[in-house]
Amino acid sequence: MNALFLILIFPGFLFLALFGLFAEFIDRKLYARMQNRQGPPWFQPLADFIKLLGKEDIVPDEANVRMFRLMPLFALTAVVSSIIYIPLWKTGALYSFSGDLVVVLYLLTLPTLTFFIGGWYSTSLYARIGSVRSLTQMFAYEVPLFMGLFSPALLADSWTLSDISRFYIDHPMYCFFNLIGFGVALVALLGKLEKAPFDIPEAETEIVAGTFTEYSGRLYAFFRLAIDIEMVVGASLLAAVFLPFGLKDEAAIGFLIYILKVVLVVFLLTLARTIFARLRIDQMVRFCWKYLVPLALLQLLIVLFLKGVLLQ
Amino acid sequence: MHNSHEHEHEFKIPLGPQHPALKEPESFSIALKGEKILGVDIRLGYNHRGIEKACEERTFLQDVYLLERICGICSHSHSTAYVQAVEEIAGLAVPPRALYIRTLIGELERVHSHFLWLGVAGHEIGFDTLLMYTWRDREIVMDLLAQLTGNRVNYGINTIGGVRRDIAPEQGKDILAGVATLEERTKYYIQIATEETTIIKRLSGVGIISKEDALRLGAVGPTARASGVDRDIRREDPYAAYAELDFDVITDDHCDVYGRTVVRLKELMESFKIIRQIVARIPDGPIAVRAPRKIPAGEAFSRYEAPRGEDVHYVKSNGGEKPERVKVRAPTLANVQTVKHMLKDRFLADMPIVVAAIDPCFSCTDRMVGIRRLDGEKKEILGWESLRSFSLGWHRARGFDVTIAEKRLHQLMEH
Amino acid sequence: MSCEEDIRQNTIRQFDFLKDFFKVIRPRRLSAEVARDRFSEVFDFLVHQEKFNILCTITGTDEGDDLGFIYHLAREGGITLNLKTRAPKSDPVIRTITAVFPGAEIYEREIVDLFGAKVQGLRKGNRYPLTDDWPADEHPLRKDWKPANGSGGEM
Repeated sequence: MNALFLILIFPGFLFLALFGLFAEFIDRKLYARMQNRQGPPWFQPLADFIKLLGKEDIVPDEANVRMFRLMPLFALTAVVSSIIYIPLWKTGALYSFSGDLVVVLYLLTLPTLTFFIGGWYSTSLYARIGSVRSLTQMFAYEVPLFMGLFSPALLADSWTLSDISRFYIDHPMYCFFNLIGFGVALVALLGKLEKAPFDIPEAETEIVAGTFTEYSGRLYAFFRLAIDIEMVVGASLLAAVFLPFGLKDEAAIGFLIYILKVVLVVFLLTLARTIFARLRIDQMVRFCWKYLVPLALLQLLIVLFLKGVLLQ
Repeated sequence: MHNSHEHEHEFKIPLGPQHPALKEPESFSIALKGEKILGVDIRLGYNHRGIEKACEERTFLQDVYLLERICGICSHSHSTAYVQAVEEIAGLAVPPRALYIRTLIGELERVHSHFLWLGVAGHEIGFDTLLMYTWRDREIVMDLLAQLTGNRVNYGINTIGGVRRDIAPEQGKDILAGVATLEERTKYYIQIATEETTIIKRLSGVGIISKEDALRLGAVGPTARASGVDRDIRREDPYAAYAELDFDVITDDHCDVYGRTVVRLKELMESFKIIRQIVARIPDGPIAVRAPRKIPAGEAFSRYEAPRGEDVHYVKSNGGEKPERVKVRAPTLANVQTVKHMLKDRFLADMPIVVAAIDPCFSCTDRMVGIRRLDGEKKEILGWESLRSFSLGWHRARGFDVTIAEKRLHQLMEH
Repeated sequence: MSCEEDIRQNTIRQFDFLKDFFKVIRPRRLSAEVARDRFSEVFDFLVHQEKFNILCTITGTDEGDDLGFIYHLAREGGITLNLKTRAPKSDPVIRTITAVFPGAEIYEREIVDLFGAKVQGLRKGNRYPLTDDWPADEHPLRKDWKPANGSGGEM
């Protein structure tokens, strides 16, 4: 019974869904304010979601119906289940085992794969180009993201998220050694969330809506919700390993600090979206391998040096 | 065998007639191999509504308003080009004050068109912030145009033999104030366009057309000038008041989309210069001469440097009330031919910005007109001010802060 | 002597028959009329010798039994020339100029669609500006075509 509550209500599906919609609101409102616009009212993402739920699901004639319908659910399941291993406002996550960082990263890769499969099986030309682009992009940002998250793990000597955050509680200043890694992971997260300047797979002016061109109604609502939740989970992950503050305080304050940390990451993502133009896919891949990966390597070298010399 | 294998990876993707990148219905069919463009097939004509035929069935004066509605963005270009041709046939001496007012509206139109283009270009490369900023600033010039002519787009200021509205001296002050703000903003955009990395990455080296190709294919306007073709009708074949005004023709030799952006931005600065000169030097006098109903037989060919390039009109009269023939060649029709060359071997992602970079106006190209008969229903006709306050009320009812906009409305209403 | 007059003299020296048909209308505006069978040489001379290297557009006109074609040529200095020629409606064939002006393709297609001219040497391609299902024998800009009797028109 307790487990069901954790998964479905808090901090599982319901909490994440609401928080995801809230994060989407923050993103859209900030984006609008930075562009000198009014922006949507607070309930807009929820209203959009409810509206989409009421719309007709249209499946293209030539699409593979089963794959087409299953993919949004897969995406949703993957992102919701990954929250269980991330420490949110306490030092420990709900469940944890040795090496759960790898599992979380794996679970967070799944949505991109569902975008690919969903787009591919909807057989629309735009969707296919979009799905190939999401996959291409994945090979570019995934390596720097892993390497970026690798450095705090290396410093803490653990592959377990709960252990990492526990380590930083004891040595809070150590997190400043990982600033480069934080930047790299943040940029890579932009790619994972397919947000500008890396919104190449859904570039509106080129391929309509990319992967999601053929999606409508409930299925599209779930995809959008999955992306919103992915944003929250990604931000939580970054907050857990790079911003380990306020974890020891009592639950209420800890929770508040957790929300603030996620909003901060969302703000940084929105800022990037506001001030950059969309890159081309070839430029994006080149950027990731030419700048992000060397930066992540530099971060690893710094951590190794610190561990070898300073922290003996 | 080898060939058929090659073709397996090629496919055609339709961009249009309906597509988010295109604001008007035209069809580009793109042969792709992966992300590379192999070839482009352009099908125009979706906006064709027979406006040239319609002109032959209306009087010369009615045609001014019909031709003005060829396009919402360069409406003044079309009506001016047309009235110039008719005035030449009828041998009318247009008063200098009217010519200055025409020039003023023409330059304000260029300003709003170039601002519009900059926003669209930003949108096409996924940089919506630029779109929001430029379109906000564009409101300044739109308000000026509304104040001067009564309309935001189809100004209705031209008439055969002159213009229909005079400019009050106070309006000159408003124009100068608006131009000062816009000039500041333009300097800022020039800085953004020439310094922001992602913009430069997306614009430079994209959509290249050499000077030779631009000349051979007959490119006009900023598209040609960005390829080093030093050609501007305002200087070469001066019309209206341009012969008396001092301005530079902007050229650039980047030959790419970046060059076209720079040319347009610098042209904005030239337009501000021209507008200031007009406000300072506008002569006194009448604003129109009486035009005869029947235009004597004859023909005239009129050229006009529209924001998008050279707009040409040919008018032939048989001595009656209606023209024998009206021919319009909008700048986009001359420029659209270059798109195929610009896209060869480029990436799919470059397609929207390359098409946008010629600043296409397919309505002009196809010379459409939208005439919708109102059915018997009772229609309430709202004036500009009541429309504006309606819009403010609508937003206020939904909890938006509209105090600044409201203040501006009151300022404008006081004039 | 003005530049316009120079061009006129040069052209008449080359083509005697143009004497009464080459006019200077006003500064920067010239007009010439030439028969269809001599069109190509005059056109080539003007484009290559007199440097009319810009084609503004091609206008079609309905002249009763004939179709008129006006080539609006321009050159440096803002000088434009309306070069006119005619072809009978029973045999409305003209030669393409796309070899000299590749951009003329779309203007020629327009005349084909709207006036029913036939352009020799024009490569196959999409029609412009009428729709693909527009009847081949209806040409809206001819004077005898009225929207009411055309199948495409609805008023």
